[in-house]
Amino acid sequence: MPRAKPRRRTVVLAATACAGVLAVVLAVTAFSGGGTATGVSYLAGNTNAVYYQPGHRHVAPDFSGTTLTGQALRFASYRGRVVVLNFWGSWCVPCRTEAATLTVAANQYQRSGVEFLGVDIQDNVASAAAFARGHAVPYPSVSDPNDLVPLAFGSAVPIAATPTTLVVDASGHIAGAVFGEVTYSELSTLLGKVAAR
Amino acid sequence: MTELRTPPPADRAHVDEDGFPAAEAAASRGTAKAPATGFGLAGWLRWAWRQLTSMRIALILLFLLALGSIPGSILPQQGTDPAAVSRYFKSHPSLAPLLNHLGLFNVFAAPWFAAIYLLLFTSLVGCVVPRTFRMVGSARSLPPRAPRNLGRLPLSAEYRTGLEADAALAKAARLLSGHGFRLRQPDGPGDGRWLSAEKGYLREAGNLLFHLALLGILVSVALGGMFGYKADKLLVEGGTFADTAIDVNEFHPGRLVSGSDLPPFTLTLTKFSASYVSSGAQLGEPSAFDALVRYTATPGGQARSADIQVNHPLSVDGDRIYLLGHGYAPVFKVTDATGKVVFDDAVPFIVGATGDFLSQGVVKVPDAKPEQLGFSGAFVPTAVSVNGTLESIFPAPDHPVVSLIAYGGDLGLNSGVSQSVYDLNTAQMHQLAARPQVLQPGQSWTLPGGKGTITFAGYKQWITLQITHDPGQLPALVCGAAALGGLLLSFLVRRRRIFVRVAEAPEGSVVQVGGLTRTDASGGFEDEFAALATELKAAHESPPRESGD
Repeated sequence: MPRAKPRRRTVVLAATACAGVLAVVLAVTAFSGGGTATGVSYLAGNTNAVYYQPGHRHVAPDFSGTTLTGQALRFASYRGRVVVLNFWGSWCVPCRTEAATLTVAANQYQRSGVEFLGVDIQDNVASAAAFARGHAVPYPSVSDPNDLVPLAFGSAVPIAATPTTLVVDASGHIAGAVFGEVTYSELSTLLGKVAAR
Repeated sequence: MTELRTPPPADRAHVDEDGFPAAEAAASRGTAKAPATGFGLAGWLRWAWRQLTSMRIALILLFLLALGSIPGSILPQQGTDPAAVSRYFKSHPSLAPLLNHLGLFNVFAAPWFAAIYLLLFTSLVGCVVPRTFRMVGSARSLPPRAPRNLGRLPLSAEYRTGLEADAALAKAARLLSGHGFRLRQPDGPGDGRWLSAEKGYLREAGNLLFHLALLGILVSVALGGMFGYKADKLLVEGGTFADTAIDVNEFHPGRLVSGSDLPPFTLTLTKFSASYVSSGAQLGEPSAFDALVRYTATPGGQARSADIQVNHPLSVDGDRIYLLGHGYAPVFKVTDATGKVVFDDAVPFIVGATGDFLSQGVVKVPDAKPEQLGFSGAFVPTAVSVNGTLESIFPAPDHPVVSLIAYGGDLGLNSGVSQSVYDLNTAQMHQLAARPQVLQPGQSWTLPGGKGTITFAGYKQWITLQITHDPGQLPALVCGAAALGGLLLSFLVRRRRIFVRVAEAPEGSVVQVGGLTRTDASGGFEDEFAALATELKAAHESPPRESGD
């Protein structure tokens, strides 16, 4: 059997392996770069902000808890109104930087009937209350030191990190989500889309 | 003779069964041929497939896999430490986007990394599957025809018997098949009087088992990689842990695991107790750890109690929860200059390397007025003062104290870059007091300059749990055991052949017996052959009465 020189063969084989890897890379990138699931659209140029079309929205689970000021609160009592639900913690750096945005948006949209509600996770009430005072947050937050609310939301929208902001429509379905620090334009775009329906 | 020198077709298939040379030989044939003869697309595809499934390519891919995981251990990874990635972006503004484009901050999810392991997987499967089929064929094949001259075989015997040739052959067949040999007899009356017997098919079965188990291991590992996950969680006494991606401190999901796939259990650490040896040479060595927990497998379900110990994990809903480590979490209450409580929580301190649980940690109070407060401190479970410095002499909290350094200023949280909760960035802060303050449980420290107070309210203990889910674990174990068993079988069992030829002779017949084994590395076939030949001869010499039945 004719045999090529061993070294040359190794080079050929290595080159083949690399070429194969390259080919699969191209294939994988081509496939993974593809479209989004039906009923889900991203806001322009931002995969962190998601809008769910009507009919493709998960029901937001109900939860209840105590606010940072000690009042009992039940999420179901918000039914019938659009709610912006913000998951945050006083320890979370981007939550700190987005607080001003949320305060401005809340002050503006609360006049048009949109409710804002915070879920303060993995936090102590003293620090969270100080945060709310310090940033003049105009809406209540439920204290959830043990992440039970994210656990309840698990199958609807995975709350994988703070901050996460959800827009819940009047029928109690999740219509939009912003993963990471929310911007004013993302929030107003989502609220506009939800209000338009 | 020629029949012996060149194995029959059935034999040729398993000439190269004991390793990977079969695929390699095919590959080298392909290599030699490919550049020489111009063949079409199908030819090139076949050539590429042969290359891919060759041992050498598999090794190169394995090497590439190892090479590819190097950046994962050098550069900060998005999956394990996103804060470090952000810091890297700030410190290397021009280099970081380029590296990010190459997926080097998330190596194990990068397309090129996936390509390597997918190719490796294909290569291994492509190598093992055809071999498996070949082995099935080999295990089912009949022994070859008996060679003409048995006297040329490594082992042979010849004797005369009073029996007629046909009777002698029938008797030999009965005896050999009684010994578990697989027989091949002449195709027809004109084919001569001979007998081929083969034994040791367990070797092929073992080989087959080994290769199938190898495939099984691959599939199990892939299962684990796609559907498994691993998460770490630090839990303070009294704290509850919900199995969500947000609640775990580190989450390493498989490729097909999303945050919502975790079983929705909650677990509360009721109490943690550690016992230490309090005398003798092993003073301070841990003797027992018990994490008493209550857990509910599903939201709203019934709460159960459990005691998690080291190497005694708790199993919930397919997850295993291991106790990894423990430490102390002093409880601090901080008021600011306005008198408002701005912090009240247990703060997990990191255990030092000294074994006496001298632990360090930081307290950040970002919403204190008029300026942010930060404390860096040490927790000493059993403190003694040695020449004015605190030392810990025992890991149990017999005389706990904390020593705190207080800072005021800007914690650096507004820059948008994530920080570790265990690091205090004092670049824009100033020390409030020249000396560290030592506090015992219940004691408060009024900060200089009316900046507020900090109270060391007490302490709790924390544990770290590892939650693992590996659906491939059990299959991998079973397949591993099967692979080992198959390998042992294929090493220990030999394939061996006995040939018998009977020729008519005056007053009876001449019986020739030949023996052949392909791999007689461990020896012992000679004895077996001698015993069989003796037995055959004895059977053939027995009175004709017996030969009649």
